[in-house]
Amino acid sequence: MSRAKPSSVVATTRRAVLWVPDWPVAAAMKEAGLKTDAPAAVLHGRGLVAVSAAARSAGVRRGQTQRLAQRACPDIAILRHDEGRDSREFEPVAAAAEQVVAGVEISRPGLLMVPAEGAARFHGSEEALAEALTGAVAELSGYECAVGAADGILAAVIAARSVSIVPPGKSEEFLRGLPIQDLALAAMERRQRESVEGLVDVLVRLGIVTLGDFTALPRADVVARFGAVGRWGHLVARGHDVRPPVVRRSLDDISVGYLCEEPAERVEQLTLIAAQAAKELDEALLAAGVRCGRVRIEASTERGDTLARVWRTDVGVRTGAFARHMTDRVRWQLEGWLSGTAQGPEPAPLTSLSLTAEDVVSLGDEQAYLWGGTSGTDSRAHRTVERLQALLGVESVLSVAEQGGRSPRDRVLALPWGQETRQARRVDHPWPGQIPDPPPATVLPFAEPMEVLDAGGSPVAIDRRLGMSASPTWVRLQAEPGQARPAATRRHPSAGNVGWEPTWGQARPVDAWAGPWPMVERWWSEDSSRRAFMQIAMRNADGSAGPAVLACFSAGQWWLEAIYD
Amino acid sequence: MKELNALGSLVSTGAVASRRDERLKRARAALHSVEARMGATRSPAIAESLPLTPAIAALLPSGVRPGSVVRVEGSTALMLEVAVENSRRGAWTALMGMPTVGVLAAARRGIDLSRVALVPHPGIHAPQAVGAAIEGIEMVLVGSAVALSDADRRRLAARAKERSVVIVAAGPWGQAQATLRVEHSQWRGLGDGQGRLRERSLTVLVSTKHDARPRRVQVVLEHDHAWGLRSSRQAVNEEVA
Repeated sequence: MSRAKPSSVVATTRRAVLWVPDWPVAAAMKEAGLKTDAPAAVLHGRGLVAVSAAARSAGVRRGQTQRLAQRACPDIAILRHDEGRDSREFEPVAAAAEQVVAGVEISRPGLLMVPAEGAARFHGSEEALAEALTGAVAELSGYECAVGAADGILAAVIAARSVSIVPPGKSEEFLRGLPIQDLALAAMERRQRESVEGLVDVLVRLGIVTLGDFTALPRADVVARFGAVGRWGHLVARGHDVRPPVVRRSLDDISVGYLCEEPAERVEQLTLIAAQAAKELDEALLAAGVRCGRVRIEASTERGDTLARVWRTDVGVRTGAFARHMTDRVRWQLEGWLSGTAQGPEPAPLTSLSLTAEDVVSLGDEQAYLWGGTSGTDSRAHRTVERLQALLGVESVLSVAEQGGRSPRDRVLALPWGQETRQARRVDHPWPGQIPDPPPATVLPFAEPMEVLDAGGSPVAIDRRLGMSASPTWVRLQAEPGQARPAATRRHPSAGNVGWEPTWGQARPVDAWAGPWPMVERWWSEDSSRRAFMQIAMRNADGSAGPAVLACFSAGQWWLEAIYD
Repeated sequence: MKELNALGSLVSTGAVASRRDERLKRARAALHSVEARMGATRSPAIAESLPLTPAIAALLPSGVRPGSVVRVEGSTALMLEVAVENSRRGAWTALMGMPTVGVLAAARRGIDLSRVALVPHPGIHAPQAVGAAIEGIEMVLVGSAVALSDADRRRLAARAKERSVVIVAAGPWGQAQATLRVEHSQWRGLGDGQGRLRERSLTVLVSTKHDARPRRVQVVLEHDHAWGLRSSRQAVNEEVA
């Protein structure tokens, strides 16, 4: 190259691109069981996102509304848009391509890339490679595809669309005469495509209609005018790459299933089933030469419910004891379900069980901790926690984490030890109206009734506009269990107490208070709440300063939420 | 000439001896590091006393000895504060029988939640559960409503001593090396409807096994740097007759 390369340019790779035309509609038609020559289209929002060949020949175009499409082609099948299905259905195509080449990069559903050099050498030529890919995909997955090869990502994608092979070093020339709109073909994500389409729109209005016009502009001016997307477009339009292809061997999740001959409901049956399934999974993993980071346990019951839960398996901690460990996990979980102690659908006999290993990595590829391997202390603690789980039951030992929320109880996420979940609420969201720090050291799992009284001894009330009936003077909490007996005399029917009522302790004077702070949450849902919070510092009976409490007023009643003790 | 020879042999034996010492030292160091890595060691090097956080260092100036029981009465926050320094050093923490513990308060103090196991209700298996926790977790906090008999407590304290585990107990515990009893807790920052909880000073009655006479110490637990300087504080550290 005569010019000095810009520093951000990576070495341009020769690549082959495999493209399945109209992928969303092809996948949807396969799932709907339509023939490939039937007219069909996929509808998303108000417009069609993909149109089958038969429909296109009838005059249906992308972006049309459903009504226009049906007028052009009355027997068209309008199919639902589903990104999950697109990715899922593309897996067989990728697997078929992997029969021909060692590694592929799935750029987006419908398009995958192969570094061409090694594969072409193996198959003899790029033409032979393209033929092998097309044949394998058609034979193994049943989809028609087009293959092209060129230097750089944009040229390769366009070559695939025209089923051609651009000779090495000719990409810039090949791209020069093409319309500027083709630039969007190299954008793989929707967000990126939108920004590139914006760029193209502006360029067309500036009178730049081909890629050659665009690349002729000075690079510095393009960057100054269009920023990052302009820089990207300028590089790609000249036939360069912005990043090397990320080739990975796609490792499928490994799964084993167990179908009960008769519904299992006794613990002994479960132990056998769990041991059997865990052993099979261990053997399957060993046979594939892989390890897994998580295991999903799924069981279906006689009533048709499905119970699923994901467990972490710490690769560093247990080497070789995987089967036994998984047996315990499965057994605990199933026992929990059957006994009805764990949360979940109503307990019923189990009919089938499946274990799926997720986050599969090759043996030797697993990630260690940032600062070296697991230490002796950590592995000892893990073993201890598992022993506690075996002793007390799987739901009795919790791991805790912080999550987003407003009240102190909402801000803690407690899960059975080892169970995986998506973090329910983000911590870094703003959470307006959050109870300010410092957090209370005692948070009641369920709010308890309490009384906040004014100087005359009648309850303080807060109206909808946060006006208080009087300033709080006395606080009465429920009597502690140890003092229940003297307190009980005060709730004797002879003292005027009839029916259920909490056993109150002695009223304590209020030292200082702050609030009320309104908190209206989830008004749209079933568990909506409308509360007003107050921090109240109490005095002890002898007049000295005592702990503070977080009280909340909701539906005409005071509740004790937390104690700052 | 003879003298010179003698001198030479002396030097060489000295060199041999020092080289042997050197090798012995290296071998011991290697053995130590392996033991430490396996978690098998109970060497006196690890048994050095753990300091408390600066906020409450005045309570027990000599720190907490591994293998001892600290009894904390009247404040969950103080229990958590005692456990902080150990967790900062990489120790695991078990919270046994504390269903109402404020996890967020623990995290804000500096306890690493990824190394916390919470057992809210050990139930009738409490002695076995606390025992199992002591086997592998360095810091065990025991709540007040845990079903332990005095004999269980004695046995658990002995096992904790053997394994250099610190037990922080909320309820009674006869073998406690130190007892911290909260007498007053004064929150500042609240007014008559305005403000918010900012800072708290605790007056704690400290009695240890070594010291017959209890001391009364005042510490500031929740310290608000932006705010706390306005209030004047007098340090209390007096012996109680």
